[in-house]
Amino acid sequence: MKRLVFLSFLCLSLIFGSCKTDNPAAPASAIVVTDTLEVKYATGFDIQKTENGYRLTINNPWPSSTDTLQLDLNRDATIGDVQIPVQKFIATSTTHIPPLVLLDEADKLIGFPDTDYISSSVMRERINAGHVEDLGANETVNLERTISLEPDLVMGYGIDADNPTYQSMMDAGIPVLYNGDWTEAHPLGRAEWIKVFGILFDKEKEAFEIFKQIETDYLAAKASVEELDKPTVIAGATWKDIWYLPYGNSWQGTLINDAGGDYIYKDTNGSGSLSYNIEKVLKDAQQADYWIAPSQYTSYNQMLADNSSYKLFEAFQNKVLYTFALRKGATGGVVYYEEASMRPDLVLKDLISIFHGQASTGKLYFFDPLEE
Amino acid sequence: MKKATYIILIALLLLLFVADVALGSVYISFTELWDVFLGAPDATNAYIITQLRLPRAVMAVLTGAGLAIAGMLMQTLFRNPLAGPFVLGISSGAGLGVAISIMGGSLLGFSFVSGFGLIASSIAGSLAVFLLIILISLRIKDTMGLLIIGLMVGSLSSAVVGILQYFSPSEQLRRYVFWGLGSLGNLTWSEITLIGILVIISLAGLLLIIKPLNALLLGETYARSLGINITQTRWIIISITCILAGSITAFAGPIAFIGLAVPHIARLLMSSMDHKKLIPLVIIIGAALLLACDLVAQLPFSNYSLPINAVTSLVGAPLVIWLIVKKRTLRF
Repeated sequence: MKRLVFLSFLCLSLIFGSCKTDNPAAPASAIVVTDTLEVKYATGFDIQKTENGYRLTINNPWPSSTDTLQLDLNRDATIGDVQIPVQKFIATSTTHIPPLVLLDEADKLIGFPDTDYISSSVMRERINAGHVEDLGANETVNLERTISLEPDLVMGYGIDADNPTYQSMMDAGIPVLYNGDWTEAHPLGRAEWIKVFGILFDKEKEAFEIFKQIETDYLAAKASVEELDKPTVIAGATWKDIWYLPYGNSWQGTLINDAGGDYIYKDTNGSGSLSYNIEKVLKDAQQADYWIAPSQYTSYNQMLADNSSYKLFEAFQNKVLYTFALRKGATGGVVYYEEASMRPDLVLKDLISIFHGQASTGKLYFFDPLEE
Repeated sequence: MKKATYIILIALLLLLFVADVALGSVYISFTELWDVFLGAPDATNAYIITQLRLPRAVMAVLTGAGLAIAGMLMQTLFRNPLAGPFVLGISSGAGLGVAISIMGGSLLGFSFVSGFGLIASSIAGSLAVFLLIILISLRIKDTMGLLIIGLMVGSLSSAVVGILQYFSPSEQLRRYVFWGLGSLGNLTWSEITLIGILVIISLAGLLLIIKPLNALLLGETYARSLGINITQTRWIIISITCILAGSITAFAGPIAFIGLAVPHIARLLMSSMDHKKLIPLVIIIGAALLLACDLVAQLPFSNYSLPINAVTSLVGAPLVIWLIVKKRTLRF
């Protein structure tokens, strides 16, 4: 009896085990690299042209990783890891949505974890029509549902080297691309990830044109304020008596600087966020002219109820606080979290309007003045 | 226990209080400190001293004294050296209330929780557990049963909190984790006054039960034979503990360790087990120890500070170990 059980297990494992090997990829050495595409600001990826496709190298799949990951994209299904253009795509972060919309490839998205976070009206129409499968709550992606959708590619992101869900997907034969846009410090570096989306959907030319336009707009806006006076700027808010702020060299810090703002902590360097004791910020920033992105607060009264120290700040007294938390999509997702990475030009123009006195004209895209 | 020891401890308490107010991220010299109270101060310095540091130091005194007393009451009631102020499940209840208000928001249809909302939900959670414990204590005869029920309440609430956490976005998770790390800061003077009144009422209530507390140390049967009304005493002890632990947790989060360690430190320092002598000592040591912890947590002269909960254990645990090794026995 025991032997019978053992044998049937053996048979079962042979049947299921064989699933994995039915699609052998061509060895990487057979693919000839012909050219390298230009990547100006982003440090997280490199793209090489091959005979009938691209070779994509992800340099930092997760922060402080020592590995690089390589994906061969090819128009021929029998060569490489992923056939392009990708037809069935799964994304895992709202920052992956705007590039799809910009490239007019929104119809390729078939799954997303917790679709309520998506705000893009184009994508919401498709979600409401039932074209995008909800893959689970928040960041947790349901493995079985994902595998059953048979996607051509899953775009994930890794906080660290421990990503069992993505590993299981790869074991099941689904290619996974780690998107590291959020680790890019330069605003244009994050936007440049549209080039990765471009080659996935075989729209290299379009992606490069879109990025060129964003870059031109960004640099022109930046140049327009270089001669102007620099108002001082403070950011963030407290939890109890600790104040959380962006580092000077961070994505937000660079944007404030490029918008002609004099960020109080522009000389700080690091990753993550600064956490200063409120005493220090009180000493340093009481006279700051503007205050942007005060955490999740949307009104002055909310802020005062939480911490009466806020009223000592001149920016608070003059009511020049601006938040991105008020612009929300139809199902509650914050538009800024979705689009800001890909559209640094729009963030920059908003900040320039705020810092240089044109905010009242009502043309802000992401930001609003705080409510009473 | 000699009078001199008391005087030294009270002097130490005062010194720590002054140090906690004088030292912080921003350097304020003693002359400037003097100006704040008796001269023409710089407005920012005055604000930092009177609205940030002074309330925090007072809160440290109230919290240290309150939690230490609550811990002592639980250790005496259960005759168990491992009992602490949260053994009845008060902090679990508060944590569940806070978790529902921070992380249940998306389910219940609100997305932002103000500081006052957190306090209210913490009080609601503690109160629910308190009422449950009181109802149960009417039904069961064995005091030890309450200990098990406290554990079960903790288990239940951590299960619900776990489910909420699993479905929460990172921003909300962070807020909940931060709440759990405790903070003595960001309290207004009216909030401090409220806690002060509750702590004083609770301490006054202690005067009613000093004799029964001493009798309880000898066992419930013995206490009963001395004519002590056990049910009534149990009620008073539970009520005082819940008021202290619940109100402090509402405003400062679950501050660990003080309530467990301070009664042991006090018993190791004195020779008598008489609660009449133990209570003042527990209050003084509790307040002094938490002031010292807050002083460390503020990391004076640096721009950063540490969460108070990490420091209480970092400072407190070695202290208790050292005392036990020195005295060679845990007096209980």
